[in-house]
Amino acid sequence: MKKKGMTKAQKNEAAWGLFFVAPTMIGLIVLNFYPIAYTVYQSFMKTGDFGMGNIFVGLSNYQQVLAGSEFWGALLNTFKYALIEVPFSVCIALVLAVFLNRKIAFRGGYRTIFFLPMVAAPAAVAMVWKFLYNQQFGLLNNVFHTSTEWISDPNIAWISIGVIGVWSIVGYNMILFLSGLQEIPHDYYEAADIDGATGIKQFFNITIPLLSPTIFFIVQTRIIGALQVFDLVYMVMDNTNRALKSVQSVVYIFYQHAFTYNDRGYGAAIVVCMLAIIMVITFLLQKSEKKWVFYN
Amino acid sequence: MNNHGKLRKLSVLLLAVVMILTLAACGGNNANSGGNANTDAATEDNSGNTGGSATALEVKIWDNTQLAGLREIAAEWTAVSGIPVNIQVVTWDDYWTLLEAGASGGQMPDVFWMHSNTAQMYMEANKLLDLTDYINNSDVIDLANYYDGITTLYSLDGKQFAVPKDHDTIALLYNKALFDAAGVEYPTDDWTWDDYYNAGKAITDAGAGSYYGVAMNTTNDQDGWFNIIYSYGGYVISEDHKTSGWDNPNTKEAMEFVGKLCSDVFAPQNVVSENGTDTMFNNGLAAMITQGSWMIKSFYDDDDAFNEDGSQNYAWVMLPYHDANGDGVAQPEERCSIYNGLGWAAAADTKQPDAAWSLIEWFGSYDMQVKQAQLGVTMAGYMGISEEFSDAFEGMNIDAFINIENQGTLVFRPYSKYTTRWSDQYQKELVNAWIDPSQMDSILDSLAASMNETLARE
Repeated sequence: MKKKGMTKAQKNEAAWGLFFVAPTMIGLIVLNFYPIAYTVYQSFMKTGDFGMGNIFVGLSNYQQVLAGSEFWGALLNTFKYALIEVPFSVCIALVLAVFLNRKIAFRGGYRTIFFLPMVAAPAAVAMVWKFLYNQQFGLLNNVFHTSTEWISDPNIAWISIGVIGVWSIVGYNMILFLSGLQEIPHDYYEAADIDGATGIKQFFNITIPLLSPTIFFIVQTRIIGALQVFDLVYMVMDNTNRALKSVQSVVYIFYQHAFTYNDRGYGAAIVVCMLAIIMVITFLLQKSEKKWVFYN
Repeated sequence: MNNHGKLRKLSVLLLAVVMILTLAACGGNNANSGGNANTDAATEDNSGNTGGSATALEVKIWDNTQLAGLREIAAEWTAVSGIPVNIQVVTWDDYWTLLEAGASGGQMPDVFWMHSNTAQMYMEANKLLDLTDYINNSDVIDLANYYDGITTLYSLDGKQFAVPKDHDTIALLYNKALFDAAGVEYPTDDWTWDDYYNAGKAITDAGAGSYYGVAMNTTNDQDGWFNIIYSYGGYVISEDHKTSGWDNPNTKEAMEFVGKLCSDVFAPQNVVSENGTDTMFNNGLAAMITQGSWMIKSFYDDDDAFNEDGSQNYAWVMLPYHDANGDGVAQPEERCSIYNGLGWAAAADTKQPDAAWSLIEWFGSYDMQVKQAQLGVTMAGYMGISEEFSDAFEGMNIDAFINIENQGTLVFRPYSKYTTRWSDQYQKELVNAWIDPSQMDSILDSLAASMNETLARE
């Protein structure tokens, strides 16, 4: 059966529609979808220099990645980092947001201060923290009269990096929570007041459940973000830092292989593995959504 | 609401995919993003040029301290040829990203610098203009006049792809104030590595943690401990660039000595790693470092380089030697300086190959090599004009860099097709030996194995 043709007006409308989405579509295709496909393609290749002379090697890159200890070590480091960054940045941001949602003096000032790290360039943030952490001349050791190797001791360095991560992202999470808080009707709190509920009870029984969509969104995007940590490690940890092995993240070793050693195929295999892991985690999170997130 | 939920799930999944894979894509995508940067600067004013039709030659370099001198030299060429030259500086890391992107996407600068880390990769991929015929027909360039290691580096299968631009050597830099504070006599050109050890240990002991005899990291290879290895008769990579020298007995003997330095002389590894050796020297935390001639200007310009009366506080002496035969005199093979040299190369697909060659010929000519040295840009790639360079830094004696050429042996910097793959290995693994020198021997053995494996895959 022949499809019904569109009227002239409909065709016109469709053309304009395509015209308006074209910039986004082209941008996505050129800057995202093509590179994604190309990365997957590269992961099956022994890549030649300058994108020429790629040789198909099947799963060999994956075998090397998964058989070596480097990837798994980096994966563990990445999870350790996420374990610090996500819970702390979410909890601290939530508490801050609740306080700064009230009418207190200099509210705007506080909000600005907590949001500022988000405005600063990540590289600059990392440099400043690197100076603070410096063992001999850093502010931290001088104030506390200690000589802790904040970024050179393998047992401490991963926590130090995590702290920078929390500090950088707390303000952004706080702003998202604030917007979520402002959507909660005030009536609930008034009713709770009349019933004699304390502030803490209100927080756990009203704020948290009604804020759960925002919490879910933030937790999910932060986990994805934290698993891709790169700039902090790259900027703070010198190549000859003895703690590097216990801090280097998956994206960091990807960068090393793909760009420092010029082995694009191996690097591509690393990120594709990472992608698979992130997909699984995201899928599990989505499954858990029904159990604790309330949409009203 | 159901629809909403699904849409949200889908969008988050998509976000995850997009976020991680766009990272990876930088590699494949470079050709699109990086290449454009070269094209926008082609509009140099053609005022001095009567022809008006000539397009400017694009030149890219990575060292800002050399820009002024090279512009001056290029301006003279423009006056002769009528073709404008546009020299741009890009930082070291960006330089290689940009050049690689340009090579992949067909938009390389016309003329640019080559380095031993990458030369072979570019030559094998035919990305560099073959200069062999140009050189054969040239009255100005005779490759026999240049340092042999540099010309060899930029040749492949009998073809020459770059003309040597410069060379560099290494010397020992010391801070007189710290030697005075520790009551140790200044270094001399007659020092052996053992003298260096003894003086360094005395200063480290006197400093008791507030300053040290020497700051040297595992990354100070070309400008540091490589020189010790070669003066002990060891080597890092075989002459055919196929096997590692980490398990060579002489290399091991030298590295045992480096291990001794690590325990008694060097500043602690984490301090060096967190602060950097040059910074430590400039801040009076290390009395000695070894450094290359390309760094002279930055130390010359440092606030503490000269005392108030104008005398030198920072001073250079020749690298110490290893008295292998125990006759108390330095034979040339007992004193080694690693050297490296950049080359002027052109893009294989440049639209103006003749003009590009003409500019390279100009930079490589005797007169301009002399001028480059006189301006203090760098030591020449042309042999026999190092004297000119020593006069470029008024008040600072830098003869140490030049004397070692006659009194010692120049060894070309170890490299292979993918140098960074194994250099990153030893720079990271040796950190453990720096911290605990008793592991030196076993680390060298495992480095030899992994480097051989890496080389086999090239």
